[in-house]
Amino acid sequence: MAAPCSRMASRPLLQFLYSFGRTGAGNTGFRRVSGSSAHRAAVQGRSKADSAASPWSLMAAVCLQRLPVISADRSPVEQQFTQLMYQMELEKSLLSDHELRLLEDAERMSRRQADDYDSDEEEDRGDQEIVLAQDLEDSWEQRLKSFQPAPRVRADVQRNLASLDRCLDDSLVLLAEQQVGTEKMWLLPQTQWQEGENLRQTAERALASLPAGFKATFLGNTPCGVYKYKLPKAARTESLVGTKLFFFKAILSGSSPSAPSDAPFLWVRKSELQDYLKPAYLEKVNRFILNL
Amino acid sequence: MNPVIRKLQVSLAQHSLLLTQTSAFLNRASASIQHPLCGGVAPGNERHYRSMPTHGIGRWRHLLPKEAPKKKKDKHQMKQIAAATNTEYGTLNVKVSGYDMTVVEHYSQYIHNLCNRLGIKVAESYALPTKTTEVMLMQEQGTKMYVDAVLKTHERIVQLSHLNAALCPTFMDVILKNQPEGIELCIKEHTAADYQVRFKARPELEGLIAQMGQKDH
Repeated sequence: MAAPCSRMASRPLLQFLYSFGRTGAGNTGFRRVSGSSAHRAAVQGRSKADSAASPWSLMAAVCLQRLPVISADRSPVEQQFTQLMYQMELEKSLLSDHELRLLEDAERMSRRQADDYDSDEEEDRGDQEIVLAQDLEDSWEQRLKSFQPAPRVRADVQRNLASLDRCLDDSLVLLAEQQVGTEKMWLLPQTQWQEGENLRQTAERALASLPAGFKATFLGNTPCGVYKYKLPKAARTESLVGTKLFFFKAILSGSSPSAPSDAPFLWVRKSELQDYLKPAYLEKVNRFILNL
Repeated sequence: MNPVIRKLQVSLAQHSLLLTQTSAFLNRASASIQHPLCGGVAPGNERHYRSMPTHGIGRWRHLLPKEAPKKKKDKHQMKQIAAATNTEYGTLNVKVSGYDMTVVEHYSQYIHNLCNRLGIKVAESYALPTKTTEVMLMQEQGTKMYVDAVLKTHERIVQLSHLNAALCPTFMDVILKNQPEGIELCIKEHTAADYQVRFKARPELEGLIAQMGQKDH
């Protein structure tokens, strides 16, 4: 295989530390993703001189994904099943502490209202409970009523393809409009490989070269897909037949707030990819983008 | 009775078959005499003859691999922590933690099953002790804090060894896309310190060791 892959294989694998959290309340629109992989700064040069330069030029692209923020809606079958399971579990369950307390308090109240009530006969507690369980429940109901959840889907944000907050229940992929050869087209952000770096660094460079500062965690050192592009016969030379493009997966962990709104970016779902990508390219990209 | 019969068989080889049959008959007779209350077949009737083709038909224990005899006093040894190579990661800990125990357990089971299906070797799968957090709120009137809620954080760890580097991005993408709500996922390398966290502290032992250390000085 071409040089960079072998070089990548010869570097020892890196320290591995990833943590992904879904419980953060502060970040709207992002799962908290932090990854630290300590790179060896010095990259070993080639051990032997280039014997036969390959006629393919190499590029690396980054497939930056934003994971879903809210859970997806259930299908009708799933809804019916959850209702059935809930019903079954409710029927099989035992009373919880809170419910037992409610029953005890109700019983105590009814005993108090009775005519022949003698407070000395009360066995359980000498001092009566000041806060009844029913009062607690009422206060909780009040707190719940005052909570307003944000709307799940906002139609204007949904239609704005460049917005990061669209389709919160689905995962989105970043597309950038880049100049390839003579024409501008939509594709995953890519850049040319340079001597002395490995392909993952090339992909990181591709991400860093975008005007909007996206912070991402790369999922691994190995590419997840490859696309081979042969130049048209007229443009082929002896030393350049085409390009091989390697894709690397990354997860969005945060973006700079000053992202310009007119930047040529799109966040699209997998089903919308076909509107923007060329067919041959789309075929290769579809193989590694998971739509779970 | 049996050693006597065996000696007879050895000395009289030609009549061995006859003798075994007679000895069997004798045994059976003695067995039946000994247990006159047994209604039906006496236990001696089920003996398999060594000449029968079905002799030893139910034997299975000899097929198992030989286990070293386990001593009761054996301390639990730490498994070797694999080192990372060029194509594989070393021992990795996938830690799943959250407040809802059923979801945490189901998610860790899902990861374990996924590894089995993808051919990733799972070294160990264990749970860390539950951490309890009490949420205390200030009372509206007054300065006392009262307990509002008790939150329990459950943690499960799935330990993977030799995760292939080419499989890693796909594997991680799948488990991220299936991460449930309210669950935190953390993937780290396994260290000896992580192993020691699982054991309970023994304060008396540590006190004695400290005393011994002091006496040496």
